[in-house]
Amino acid sequence: MLRTLAAEPLSVGELAAPYRMSLAAASKHIKALERAGLVRRTVKGRTHLCALDAAELASAHAWLAFYQRFWSDSFDVLAAVLQENDA
Amino acid sequence: MTTDTVLARRLVMRRAFAVSPERLFDAWTDPAVAARWLFTTPDSQAHAAELDVRVGGRWTITDRRDGVDYVALGEYLEVDRPRRLVFTFGMPQFSPAFNTVTVEIAPAGDGSMMTLTQEHLPPEHHPATRDGWDAMFEALEGNLAA
Repeated sequence: MLRTLAAEPLSVGELAAPYRMSLAAASKHIKALERAGLVRRTVKGRTHLCALDAAELASAHAWLAFYQRFWSDSFDVLAAVLQENDA
Repeated sequence: MTTDTVLARRLVMRRAFAVSPERLFDAWTDPAVAARWLFTTPDSQAHAAELDVRVGGRWTITDRRDGVDYVALGEYLEVDRPRRLVFTFGMPQFSPAFNTVTVEIAPAGDGSMMTLTQEHLPPEHHPATRDGWDAMFEALEGNLAA
């Protein structure tokens, strides 16, 4: 869904179409993306237009990458500490 | 190790360890063990871990790298040895944001499987931000007085 939105802002119906999703299901997904701050929705009459917040997406990616590395390195040290205590 | 990432700021990591769930849990809560791996680096010059491991208890880890003290701190939300430990985590020097970290440990074969989930808490959902600053200043005062 995010990849579809990367090109241009779309309505909820346009977003749902390629996924063979009901409007209600699509709306639920979009709400989750909105809560995560990745998608902004504007209402024009009866049409809800969704747009990607690229800065927020990049920042979320950076956050994930940083902590993935952080915990992975930490767990390496933890495994070594536990093994040493065994010896 | 497998890594799953879900929407936005939620990180889930799993790792198997060749020790019992109890020993793995204690590595998070025993200051002597935690000081060797948690919120520190092999290059750190000094490291202090104060862990008041009970629901509502605070934890502060101060790590000195290149002569600068870095303070990580938070509060324990759930303590259920050896299955589950939930705490908040922030580094107020860098960001007013707080995260929650959930550590779940289950027996697996002769050892344990640990699942860590970290979630970003938006500032408006974090009443403890102010407490975080207070705790950091307290820690700082402690350092200065020492």
